[in-house]
Amino acid sequence: MKKLLCAAAFLALLTGLRPLSAQQTAADGPLAAPQAGAPAGEVKYPSLEIQGFADIDFSAQNQRLQRVGTATGFTPPGQSSDFDLGQFVLHFAGQLAPRVSYFAEVSWTAGPNGYSTTIERSVLRYAFNDYFKISAGRYHTPIVYWNTAYHHGLWLQTTINRPEMIQFGGRLIPVHFVGLQAQGLVPQSGSLNLQYDVGIGNGRGANIAEPGDAGDINNNRAWMATLTAQPDWAYKWEFGGSVYHDSIGQASGLPTTFGEWIRTIRLVDTGETPEIIAEAADIRHDELGGAGSSWSSQAWYVQVAYRLPWFQAQWKPYYRFEYIHIPKTDPVFNPATNPVPSLAGSIAGVRYDFCSYAAFKMEYRNSRRNPGEPRIQGAFAQIALTF
Amino acid sequence: MNHSGKGAIHGAGLGLMGLALLAMAALAAWRTPPPQAGHGARTPVAILVNPASPVNNLSLSDLRSIMLGNRQFWPNHDPIVLLVRAPVAPERNVVLHTIYQMSEAEFRQYWIAKIFRDEMATGPKIVYGASATNELVVAIPGAIGFLEASDVRPGPKVLTINGLKPGDKGYPLQ
Repeated sequence: MKKLLCAAAFLALLTGLRPLSAQQTAADGPLAAPQAGAPAGEVKYPSLEIQGFADIDFSAQNQRLQRVGTATGFTPPGQSSDFDLGQFVLHFAGQLAPRVSYFAEVSWTAGPNGYSTTIERSVLRYAFNDYFKISAGRYHTPIVYWNTAYHHGLWLQTTINRPEMIQFGGRLIPVHFVGLQAQGLVPQSGSLNLQYDVGIGNGRGANIAEPGDAGDINNNRAWMATLTAQPDWAYKWEFGGSVYHDSIGQASGLPTTFGEWIRTIRLVDTGETPEIIAEAADIRHDELGGAGSSWSSQAWYVQVAYRLPWFQAQWKPYYRFEYIHIPKTDPVFNPATNPVPSLAGSIAGVRYDFCSYAAFKMEYRNSRRNPGEPRIQGAFAQIALTF
Repeated sequence: MNHSGKGAIHGAGLGLMGLALLAMAALAAWRTPPPQAGHGARTPVAILVNPASPVNNLSLSDLRSIMLGNRQFWPNHDPIVLLVRAPVAPERNVVLHTIYQMSEAEFRQYWIAKIFRDEMATGPKIVYGASATNELVVAIPGAIGFLEASDVRPGPKVLTINGLKPGDKGYPLQ
């Protein structure tokens, strides 16, 4: 299997290469856009670069569970052990002009009744300079680090799955966002290298796990703002926070209208010796009118990993603890209509990079959804690759 | 009325998380420094830019931001074009260890992720050979590249880093 996957990845790389623009320059494997026919130093527009990600998974658990994280949300009860084809993802990066770029990410996800195809991201961007870049389209909501660091590229992330709080198909935090974004460096931020990201868009859709791709369902825009720092004195670190606000109501199947405030904080060491990712979120729902009640849910996780220096640095053990608390009376996360289970659990595993563009991951998970419910234990494995 | 429930417990949980973050910050401060460039030679690496560039000097942190793709425009708002020597070149090792502080594998993954995150449309252009670097830096407006100082030919502009020229005492890229 190992040789087969490496051979497949190598073949894909070979077939992805095209004639180069100059005798003297070359794209570094899949990194730079080929510019067939252009003389040295001349950039040809439009350019297009395609890269893919895929994964194959195996799980064995002591409970027959509902699986979350698929594009279709909750699926019928799963097996106690099974293989899973995961997602096949292609991304398309196009440079249309010196300051204009387009990016698309498309996924195919195996489900019980076949494959579902989703345009995960579709973004057109104009970059005025480092301080102001404006874009429109469908994004991964940038209020959580994980959501915009790894997207659907499981090979990029150390662990097999995302944290539950930002799971694909999950309802706790909106994973996608359709609208406008402006981002860039904050001028005069000195050695802190502050970056901002602000956006306005449709917010949650009729299914609160999905954005309003086809239009806003309640004529009320969601907005968000993120501020992060990557200081010169610790440039692999990133820390910061985000605020997101939306209004959701009867169009999403709720009894009345609620204001939703999501506040998140993050502290990340993007290196590998160690890799540290810690994020926390507070999700507050305020009843607009009526009794004016409010409900507050919390979610956080801490993940630590370390690339071992031995054996050609191919091994990377990791550990993550994650926690989610949902008030049982929160009408937005009503168990009957929009279930979001609580969670307290750990995962421990190891990633083995058996070739440059493919990795094998094994992990053990131990978690409990709610007090009194049985503890879930399982062993999971994944082969993740990029090509 | 607030229905958050178990607020004290969750407050404690967030407090514990804060403590955990502090502990991790301490751990990171102790972490093993990145390995030094192992090529043995102490030939300084020169940073070259297009002769029309308005820039004459960069701080090491600004240079790092440029090489990481976090800064994509020169002060005159012209796009920056990154030229990176192919693997095995000694100056590439110096740049990877001094500026990126990454292994070859981390460097590859970094640029795949950078494009996948839609932070850049293309990665750096890889250049084979010192003469190609000299020529392309001159030919491409906005280009920035690097070479061992002894390989620099007339044409490109050599930047000072932290106010120091290649070969000066304390020059960071050697």
